[in-house]
Amino acid sequence: MSKQGRARTQEMRKAQQEAAARQARNRRIVTVVGAVVIVGLLVAIVWAVVAATRGGDDKAPPASGKVVVPANGNASGAVPVGEPNAPVTVEIYYDYMCPACGAFEAANGGELDRLLEDGTARIELRPISFLDEQSSGTEYSTRAANAFATVADGAPDSAWDFHAALYAHQPKEGSKGLSDDEIASIAKDAGVPADVVDRFGDRTFVGWVGSVTQKAFDSGIQGTPTVKIDGEVFTGDVYSVGPLTQAIESAAGDQ
Amino acid sequence: MTDRAVGPADDPVDDPVAESWLHRVRDSNAAVWVTMLVSSVASLVASFVLSIDALRLAEDPNADLGCNINAVISCGTVANSWQSSLLGFPNAFLGLITEPVVITIAVASLAGVRFPRWFMVAAQVVYTIGFVFAYWLFYEAMFDIGALCPWCLLVTFATTLVFFEMTYVNIRDDNLRLPRRVQAAMTSFIRSNLDLMVLVVWLLVLLLAVVLKYGEALFA
Repeated sequence: MSKQGRARTQEMRKAQQEAAARQARNRRIVTVVGAVVIVGLLVAIVWAVVAATRGGDDKAPPASGKVVVPANGNASGAVPVGEPNAPVTVEIYYDYMCPACGAFEAANGGELDRLLEDGTARIELRPISFLDEQSSGTEYSTRAANAFATVADGAPDSAWDFHAALYAHQPKEGSKGLSDDEIASIAKDAGVPADVVDRFGDRTFVGWVGSVTQKAFDSGIQGTPTVKIDGEVFTGDVYSVGPLTQAIESAAGDQ
Repeated sequence: MTDRAVGPADDPVDDPVAESWLHRVRDSNAAVWVTMLVSSVASLVASFVLSIDALRLAEDPNADLGCNINAVISCGTVANSWQSSLLGFPNAFLGLITEPVVITIAVASLAGVRFPRWFMVAAQVVYTIGFVFAYWLFYEAMFDIGALCPWCLLVTFATTLVFFEMTYVNIRDDNLRLPRRVQAAMTSFIRSNLDLMVLVVWLLVLLLAVVLKYGEALFA
């Protein structure tokens, strides 16, 4: 091998070694950065767990399981609205998260308003909370039903309006539902006095909601909305205007 | 290819990085295939449980499943969603069909069988589809259905490991016919254990996401 050739080989080797050293350095940097990211993630996870554990303590008082029946409601879960002596009793089982109940309300709300007004029917509202799992862990069904029971308890005259307003602002199934603040402001707009709205956060009727949900299913309710006219399940179309009204009016005519 | 390719990993080229013990362990056939075997068995068990749950829920939509722990940890909520039967039957059935294939590949490979390159490429393609599907489901459960199911999480985790090992072995054995530059870069990547780092970061990010979104419901 010529001298030149040897020099070139040496140069090449040197260049190779430099490239190798550069690569090794880059790799070390990447490794260190990676290690920092991993440690950072671990810290973030621990922090999130600790925050979650703490956050749980100062949250709203948990459902103690104690069943407090709202005044103007009963232990089986009914909150009556309208003329007590009306000839027909319409029971509605519903969940504030249930989209079908929203469709029912949109179709029949106006007609039910009228039937309440003219004394044809009294309505027993039966909120249940079986769709709690559809609100990303915020248990919207229970929170909304508890708010409704609180209104039934403290301001029964606003119960029907509040009920309609909750459906007018119904959240999408699977979303987080309305926040407690949003529920409160809807209640105020529906004419619920502020002192009653302030009691939503006490979660007084959470136990009642849970218990009447269980009772509803025990009594054979299959889903929501379930509508009963004088105790008989109405099997007609509940999503368009007309059939339900006719059934109620014909029941009234039979009296 | 019936015998193991002399891939770049075996070439006595000037690799500036001395092979670390960690990489030597990971690179061994035993480590690759045992990890894949254990993960695919875990996936199969989870798919089996989920399939049985799907049958029970078909019988009674309100069936009380063992993993309905609270509003967030709830197989029932997840299983009753449309996403859980994307193709018209419970997704878990797919696990019953596909995981035994992975188990077979892992066991055969442990026994010394070398699959042809086209076979491994096909396995990689199919498993990549499964991997994407698993993460789509994970995303839907997290952000749309709003509930987590422990067995589904096990599937997500195990699928990640199988996908990781499958890709690893296919790069190691140069099965994917990647452009030479890409193949060389990938080989160097796995020799430096950077793939392992990516895997760890990936899993930790998932864990962090779950804890951030559902921590209160899980720990409070």
